[in-house]
Amino acid sequence: MSTFEPVLTSNITKENSHTLDFYQSIGGYSAIKKVLSMSPLEVIDVVKASNLRGRGGAGFPTGLKWSFVPKDSEKPIYLINNADESEPGTFKDRLLMNKAPHQMLEGMIIASYAIGCHTSFIYIRGEFYREYMLLEKVVAEAYENNLLGDNILGSDYSLDVVIHRGAGAYICGEETGLIESLEGKRGWPRIKPPFPAIEGYLQCPTVVNNVETLSCLPHIITRGADWFQSIGPEKGPGPRLFCVSGRVKNPGVFEEPMGIDLKDLIFEKAGGITNDNKLKAVFPGGSSSAILTAAEAIDVKMDFEELAKKKTMLGSAGVIVMDETVDMVHACLNIARFYAHESCGQCTPCREGTTWLVKMLTRMVKGRGTLKDINMLFEITDNIGGLIDFSKGSYGKTICPFGEAVAWPIRSFVEKFKDEFIKYLPQEKVAA
Amino acid sequence: MSNKDIHEDSFQYTDSDKVEKIFSQYPDKRSATLPLLHLAQTQGGYITSAIINTVAKLTEIHPAEVMDCVSFYTMFYSRQQGTYKLQVCQTLSCSLNGADDIVDHITQKYGTQPGETTSDGKFTLLKVECLGSCGTAPVIQINDDYHEGLSIKELDILLDSIP
Amino acid sequence: MPLLKIDSLEIEVEKGTTVLQAAMVNGIEIPYYCYHPALEIVGSCRMCLVEVEGMPKLQVSCNTFVGEAPPERKIEGKYDMVVNTHNDLVIQERKNVLEFLLLNHPLDCPVCDQAGECYLQDYSFKFGNAHSRFDEDKRVRPNEYLGSQIVINHNRCILCSRCIRFTREISGTSELFVEARGNKSKIAALEDKPLDNLLAGNVADICPVGALLSTDYIHKNRIWNLKKQPSVCQDCSVGCNVDVFYQKDKILRLTPRENHDVNGYFMCDIGRYGFHRFEDLDRITTPMARSNGSFSAVSWDEAIRKTADKLGDEGAKIAGIVSPFHTNETNFMLGQIINGPTGTLPQMNDEEIIYQSGFRISNDRSPNRRGMSDVCPALLEDLVSEIDNQDVRMIYVLDDGIDREIDDVWKKILAKMDFVVVQTYAMTTLAQSANIILPGPAPYEREGTITNDGGRVQWLRPSLPMKGESRADWEILMMVMKALDKDAQDFTDIGQVMKDMGEKFPAYDGLSFFRLGPHGMSLNGRANG
Ligand SMILES: Cc1cc2nc3c(=O)[nH]c(=O)nc-3n(C[C@H](O)[C@H](O)[C@H](O)COP(=O)(O)O)c2cc1C
Ligand code: SF4
Ligand code: SF4
Ligand code: SF4
Ligand code: FES
Ligand code: FES
Repeated sequence: MSTFEPVLTSNITKENSHTLDFYQSIGGYSAIKKVLSMSPLEVIDVVKASNLRGRGGAGFPTGLKWSFVPKDSEKPIYLINNADESEPGTFKDRLLMNKAPHQMLEGMIIASYAIGCHTSFIYIRGEFYREYMLLEKVVAEAYENNLLGDNILGSDYSLDVVIHRGAGAYICGEETGLIESLEGKRGWPRIKPPFPAIEGYLQCPTVVNNVETLSCLPHIITRGADWFQSIGPEKGPGPRLFCVSGRVKNPGVFEEPMGIDLKDLIFEKAGGITNDNKLKAVFPGGSSSAILTAAEAIDVKMDFEELAKKKTMLGSAGVIVMDETVDMVHACLNIARFYAHESCGQCTPCREGTTWLVKMLTRMVKGRGTLKDINMLFEITDNIGGLIDFSKGSYGKTICPFGEAVAWPIRSFVEKFKDEFIKYLPQEKVAA
Repeated sequence: MSNKDIHEDSFQYTDSDKVEKIFSQYPDKRSATLPLLHLAQTQGGYITSAIINTVAKLTEIHPAEVMDCVSFYTMFYSRQQGTYKLQVCQTLSCSLNGADDIVDHITQKYGTQPGETTSDGKFTLLKVECLGSCGTAPVIQINDDYHEGLSIKELDILLDSIP
Repeated sequence: MPLLKIDSLEIEVEKGTTVLQAAMVNGIEIPYYCYHPALEIVGSCRMCLVEVEGMPKLQVSCNTFVGEAPPERKIEGKYDMVVNTHNDLVIQERKNVLEFLLLNHPLDCPVCDQAGECYLQDYSFKFGNAHSRFDEDKRVRPNEYLGSQIVINHNRCILCSRCIRFTREISGTSELFVEARGNKSKIAALEDKPLDNLLAGNVADICPVGALLSTDYIHKNRIWNLKKQPSVCQDCSVGCNVDVFYQKDKILRLTPRENHDVNGYFMCDIGRYGFHRFEDLDRITTPMARSNGSFSAVSWDEAIRKTADKLGDEGAKIAGIVSPFHTNETNFMLGQIINGPTGTLPQMNDEEIIYQSGFRISNDRSPNRRGMSDVCPALLEDLVSEIDNQDVRMIYVLDDGIDREIDDVWKKILAKMDFVVVQTYAMTTLAQSANIILPGPAPYEREGTITNDGGRVQWLRPSLPMKGESRADWEILMMVMKALDKDAQDFTDIGQVMKDMGEKFPAYDGLSFFRLGPHGMSLNGRANG
């Protein structure tokens, strides 16, 4: 694995890596020239063959998602680049936008061409104001150079790109919440069916892809599906941006092949634990994934299948490291509070359950918990988004996967660090 | 009618070209809601009912529908904020790297609880959720700019340098 | 047609039917809150979860559509879908959702107006846990006005968003919105744009719990103390179907009754609150005769005799004024008595309002213009000239019951009359010009049929007893008829009047209350002789 050369981030340390000149000097925008000579179906086939799976969280095969868009749609088709990046522990898209924005834009053009889209949006979280300003320039530059707009590079393909700012809501990263938000509404996720590929933005066929997913596309086109497929595990190959944060010496974004050992990420790439403390627990894939104990974390590979076997997920590949100094009950409350704050409030279990968790955990932290509460934490999380059988997925208790995104991590805290929760109980209650 | 009333009862975009450009970018009017609100807030500091009405008129929806949208998002304010909004991330990675101390420090330094504005109207302290920059925790966003990985000492120097 | 199996029941359903609809039609109860047949599906309350075989997750039945499965995917070789609504998993899940819904609920059913028709109360009883496991402080919020007639009790609201969807999809007025998000969410209206449209009252009906309350009804009575009479609104020519809730001689509220050929699920506030105007009305409850400019009460015998004495004059011409406020039977009967020209009071036009969903309030605020014209076909536009031409000196008026200015034309007509009979329930200006007043029932006391402007004959059923000595309108007219002609037909009930009316006007042939039933009968395609 030591031979791996970064793909998406190979040039980010170079000066002016965000400019069009720079991007073109390293061969940028050659992929769209190639794509414009292919048929959209051929492009979809290449992406299917590459086995690229979405980098936004759900890991859905990108080519397959594109193929759901009706071929004979009379309505306009939209591509939305999901740059909402708000999953705690995730900060890779911001890097890509700051340092390699044209790579992302080229990816958008490729995806748009493949699905027959002529207006594409970048939905960027509102807080990323500087990135938004930069992207405005980048897009303008692209228009000036006929990389966007009418008849791109002399072809008969035209595409407009519009940058749309969010306004502070984690749930607008969820694709249907995002679509509602783009439509000028509150970000309430939609019930499915219909799926966005059939009825999305303004009831038109819509594909939502993550910044990193799109950024992979120019490379897949240029170097071929086989090359991409050869990196990392077969069922979910490619380079991946792993974000490591929390209690590590050298936090940051590390581009590595899929399937890298979590241990290597933490101890080599991120320089090990702060103050050389002992590792306690890790979120492998953003705050919505179930945490792994140190023992579990030490021998797991960062790929879709391996993590699923450990009843957690790769998610957004946001690794949050907790060491021996971390109070797990406080950490659990921190996460619960995040979800209660971000619940859109539509579904009964999510709206009521998240706040119940916060109230209960707050009470426990204040030393007023009971043993029964610990049991209730399991029940509440199960009732918000528990599992029947992991291999079968969730109970489907809520409209969007946010319910599970709350339930998994909270449940894993209580399950794996129950003793720490018990320590918070008043002594007489433990004895009783 | 005093001048103040005029200000509160009506709102007009100073940059009408920008408004036109926003509308030109979307296939329908309502999609322009968020950008129009951002633009209005930049101009007016917070979302007044006059802004709600103006946006509703422009996007051809009911003011209540604009309010439905506005009240959902944390970045739209319904009250005047301080000149500088000190937005401290409190989510896990930041919390594990001193975010709580930052909040405490600012609270002491200016005598403001989270959500409050200093009496001179200069600073508003806000606790916010993950800002998408966890690798450089703790993160504090002051108005549009991120300030990353600051120690308390560095933060003090930064805050004290604000005129 | 797809073959669906719900629990042990096998049913064929139309493609695209939802599991919830199929269950409801077939008497299988799946609890639900956010679903409403007139509104878009949002699937947010999560109460209607069921298990669908072959699907890994529980599904919300309100958004699960039954389709045709390809042969190799049929279950047990024949079913297109197999659904369980009653297994342990589903039962447990309902308990869980209900527990969440009740966390912040004040559990104040004993003082709640919805009690008795509350889905929260019903479902917790049927499907819920016996006691709460919530040891935290409840979220408590004060009640607020959303509009002049609607109050919200936030603590009871389960955020099903039905009310919001109603204002966006049905009235199209969009006054309601959700404020904030997550557990802070609450239903709100802007202070300067309250919920004050003429359909507003419906939100209290569609709220599945007692969160939205009509100020008109708050704490007036408990629902189980009231009687309910299905009837028809009489405040415009649309003829919305309603349920009238009453106790003894008092109406407490009206709610819309579902009729897809007329009003769908809703009604307007003109009709909803219209009954109040009869409450403090100066009612006439005994026959009266005028002598020397003032009225005095007389017996029915005397009143009828006096009337017949005059009307029965040899060769006398009697003009008739029929009324679009009266039933078909009453108008028909008057038509049989008079021998001179027939007319009606000038129509008072109001604003027509058509809402986004197509719901209409007619500009004609009388309920039976169509029926009146059907059974009194010879109505004259220019009654005055005919009265002059024929030198008519007597007139029999079915009074609208609405007090209005009498215009010059009418003053002229009345001035010509030797004898004026007014059949009414209120001392209107017109009644004041009468020689004889015969007291009939007010609108919610009436029985008969009315025909709406779409040509649907509907059954008007009384909910209040008649006042004092007043008698049914058809009966009064029959007494007059009998007094004029001993051999006249002797109707013993209104059914016989209907029969006779059907014989003379074939469009109304075969009419009976039984045949009209709760939803009425369309005249379309029936020729009126
Ligand atoms: C609660 C929630 C938050 C999400 N946030 C993001 C996000 O910030 N960025 C993102 O790309 N995807 C996010 N997703 C995933 C999107 O719904 C969607 O699957 C993704 O953008 C699809 O792109 P991909 O196929 O390229 O991964 C989120 C999903 C959920 C349920
Ligand atoms: S699961 Fe939560 S965030 Fe998702 S739609 Fe339901 S309430 Fe909203
Ligand atoms: S007020 Fe009633 S109808 Fe409206 S959201 Fe609440 S429970 Fe539903
Ligand atoms: S629309 Fe007409 S019939 Fe219907 S409730 Fe209103 S007034 Fe009555
Ligand atoms: S946790 Fe603070 S930026 Fe992500
Ligand atoms: S009725 Fe189906 S989710 Fe509410």
